[in-house]
Amino acid sequence: MDLVLHSVGGLSLDFSTLPQQLVNGLVVGAIYALIALGYTMVYGVLRLINFAHGEVFMLGAYTALLSSWVMGFTPDAISKAFKADHPLTSSPLNLVIMLLVAMAVCAIIGAIIEFFAYRPMRNQSRIAALITAIGVSLFLQYAGQLFLPANPPPSISQEVNPYQKVVSFVLSPAQMNAAGDVIKPQMDITVTVGKIVMLVTVVILMLALTYLVRYTKAGRAMRAASHDFDSASLMGINVNRVVTFTFMLGSALAGAGAMMLATFEGTAMHPFFGLQPGVKAFVAAVLGGIGNIPGAVLGGLLMGLAETLVTWIGFSQYKDAVAFVILILILLVRPGGLLGSNKVEKV
Amino acid sequence: MSLSKILGTRVLSVVLAIAFCFGLDAFVTGQLNEYVVRLVMLAGLYVTLSVSLNLINGITGQFSIGHAAFYMVGAYSAGIVSNAIYKTQPLAAPAYMIISMLIGAVFAAIAGLIVGMPSLRLKGDYLAIVTLGFGEIIRIIVLNQNQWGGSYGYAIAPKYQAGWLIWLLAIICIATCRNLLKSAHGLAFLAVREDEIAAQAMGVNVTKTKVVAFIVGAAFAGAAGALFGHMESFINPDLFKMEVSFLVLTMVVLGGSGSITGSVLAGATLFILPELPRIVSFKMSLGLLLSVLVGIGVLVWMNRKFMEKYHEPDKLKRTLVVAGANIGLAVLAVVVGKLLNNIPQFGTTTYDANKIRYMILAVVLLVIMLLKPTGLLGHHEFSWDWVKRVLNRNKAGEASA
Amino acid sequence: MALLTLKDATIKFGGLTAVNKVSFDIEKGDLFGLIGPNGAGKTTCFNLITGVYEPTSGDIDFLGTRICGMAPNKIAEIGICRTFQNIRLFGTLSALENVMVGAYLRHKTSLLGGFMLTPAVIKETAELRKKAMELLSVVNLTDIAHSRACDLSYGKQRRLEIARAMATDPKLILLDEPAAGMNPQEKDELRDVVFKIRDDYEKTVLLIEHDMKFVMGLCEKIVVLDHGEEIAYGDPSEIRNNPKVIEAYLGEPV
Repeated sequence: MDLVLHSVGGLSLDFSTLPQQLVNGLVVGAIYALIALGYTMVYGVLRLINFAHGEVFMLGAYTALLSSWVMGFTPDAISKAFKADHPLTSSPLNLVIMLLVAMAVCAIIGAIIEFFAYRPMRNQSRIAALITAIGVSLFLQYAGQLFLPANPPPSISQEVNPYQKVVSFVLSPAQMNAAGDVIKPQMDITVTVGKIVMLVTVVILMLALTYLVRYTKAGRAMRAASHDFDSASLMGINVNRVVTFTFMLGSALAGAGAMMLATFEGTAMHPFFGLQPGVKAFVAAVLGGIGNIPGAVLGGLLMGLAETLVTWIGFSQYKDAVAFVILILILLVRPGGLLGSNKVEKV
Repeated sequence: MSLSKILGTRVLSVVLAIAFCFGLDAFVTGQLNEYVVRLVMLAGLYVTLSVSLNLINGITGQFSIGHAAFYMVGAYSAGIVSNAIYKTQPLAAPAYMIISMLIGAVFAAIAGLIVGMPSLRLKGDYLAIVTLGFGEIIRIIVLNQNQWGGSYGYAIAPKYQAGWLIWLLAIICIATCRNLLKSAHGLAFLAVREDEIAAQAMGVNVTKTKVVAFIVGAAFAGAAGALFGHMESFINPDLFKMEVSFLVLTMVVLGGSGSITGSVLAGATLFILPELPRIVSFKMSLGLLLSVLVGIGVLVWMNRKFMEKYHEPDKLKRTLVVAGANIGLAVLAVVVGKLLNNIPQFGTTTYDANKIRYMILAVVLLVIMLLKPTGLLGHHEFSWDWVKRVLNRNKAGEASA
Repeated sequence: MALLTLKDATIKFGGLTAVNKVSFDIEKGDLFGLIGPNGAGKTTCFNLITGVYEPTSGDIDFLGTRICGMAPNKIAEIGICRTFQNIRLFGTLSALENVMVGAYLRHKTSLLGGFMLTPAVIKETAELRKKAMELLSVVNLTDIAHSRACDLSYGKQRRLEIARAMATDPKLILLDEPAAGMNPQEKDELRDVVFKIRDDYEKTVLLIEHDMKFVMGLCEKIVVLDHGEEIAYGDPSEIRNNPKVIEAYLGEPV
């Protein structure tokens, strides 16, 4: 095995696992992209960093969990069925229901947060609005700690996931020398069908969003409001409705991302687990150019890749710091983000 | 005022401050139990933290929300240096504390310089995120340093609770900021807060002003961190998490950003929140908790409506109506909560103070922001003139009524 | 030697040339007008002179020193100060404090002294306050010295901006549409203030204004910009009869 570890600047890099890592990065990045869209749309319309977006994501995951329980996939029921030798089986319909419920509940939560916390802050300074957002975020985290199951951290049982089959793509077969030792291991990509389904769903959601924003009346109102609130309202656009709609849309996407992450990755959840994906998605939005929808997708994918690459080169313990390092660099070098424009304040 | 009079008051206030600090130290350590002493010390540390953050946030307008990072840099740097040199240097522990505090301040000031740099290019919410990010980066780096104990923690010698120094630091911090605001130099900081471009056009060196604010603010936080490190003598990165930054931020916002008096008052009261479970061991039933939360929600909503609709010229009557409605609602919430307790699930599920302390922080933060975004004191400072003015105004109001 | 010299000053934003090869000299004691239709590049010219933008090419000299690329606060220090078209006062500070910020530029005590409030700082602060009060009386705002700047009426805010700029002790003061939004009576008062600045305080004044009557009655020399280019230069009567100027304001002759 030593032969394939290339030493680059003191780091040991195993290139045979690189394609797999890139695919993993893509999968994580797709989820980040979904969350980042919520940040970017809200920022585009309100110029507000919705700090509580990560918590909406967390609540989305819990909603998916609870809806799977309601459909009978509770830990008790599963172990009972297992003992009775009639393992529970799931159908794609269950997943669709979970997805829709998570999206709907998150949309409602988003609208409630906007109405109660952000709407009163509309005429206050941006800093006041940001502090309020931090307050909402803290409130949801600690309320979640009180009212949501957290100990031990629950996760969605994999019985509900019908797409557990693993597919493997061999990129290059293993090579052996005459003595039968492996001199180059097999290079392959192994993914579950679930992750492929997830990627496809993400793409569908993004296409739907693009259609919504580009070609519908609501989307046009949203884009108008993002340019200028006052003129938009003078043109007969109900700004309050646009803002509520934006929050619902962004939150629904976060809910979808949360449901898919929790189902296909089987991530264990706790009331604070929205924080890290939230922060990373925010960085993704800034990286792509906040307020810019394709930018959020690009940023999300790049964030996912960056994170897995850092793990790959052997700094997994710094995985969570990477987001902030990227953020600081991008803000100092190109504050408008990759696809955004750098606006100069008019004097 | 003549020079001799100024110098006279100055010498007197310095002597008084030092006497107060030693007196307080002697009093609390002599009379009170160990835990209360600790609380008095923490109050002093948090006053320093909130006033120093106020210098950056409220006075200079640079929105920094990573203050715990400076606190942490101070604690760790002072601890690491102390462990290396304390045994070989000649000073006794009390005197050495001053050295250690300065070491913490210097390292934190360097961190402040580094964090302050982005403030030259970034504004508002972007700067906020970057400061938060710096805080997290520093914490994650320390977390991964095995020689400093990583997540397990780091022992610092000597263990010494320098009560007099903690309060002296707080007083110096307050005095420094107050002095600044009393001098024309303070106007440059305020001008940067109000409008950077105009300030620069008026010849204010915006770069210098911002960087100085970050360095001084960070240095005070670092000094506090150093004293905290010696007081605890065992620290770990968890003590400096984002929650601490948010707590200090809440203090500044609650007191009214820009108001030093406000920061002092908020710092000296809100610090109790993380310590709450160790002071009072109350349990709150689910029913009561829900009812209180909903009550607070309704209260906020109601008061906002009052503010919008109720333009009663008769001030006294308005105050009475609003206060009455608020008290009534509070009583109602408690009564409903007690009634809810009769429902088995609501009555038997209970939460202790430990679980709800940060929820209280979040609720406090939200209630202030929604009802009075400028904070309790706004931009006001405590001064006898101000008290007189307010009293006179009220008298005038009553007379006209 | 001229006080301020612009030589072929040019600035481009992307593809747009906002100011194109503008040259003029301002002599000490001038009351100099800069006019032109909307979007002609007048405010951009101010931004070039005060260091908000750096010219893409060309030179700007003040008292024989090249000031292109200098930081705005350095330029204020060597003696150019301005007011803003879209008023930029320090909103929550009092009128007096606003003016004191301007006066602060000439402070001599150190910032460290400020943190310690040394007797020298106390004395200097009192002096700055006195100077600021004096300037407030020049623009007739003594009575509102302790009101918050953002609570003042529009006309008062404009005058306060002038006092604030004056407090920096400039040699050249740039007024960006000082009369905008003022009623005729306020304009008359403003005219007196501008004359007072020039005659009693011996400042040189460069101003942008849209009100032709106001400019013509006030300025001795006028430069006209249109689409970033300098189209005319002269005294008010020359400008009034210049066909190019009339064309720029009224469109092509039919």
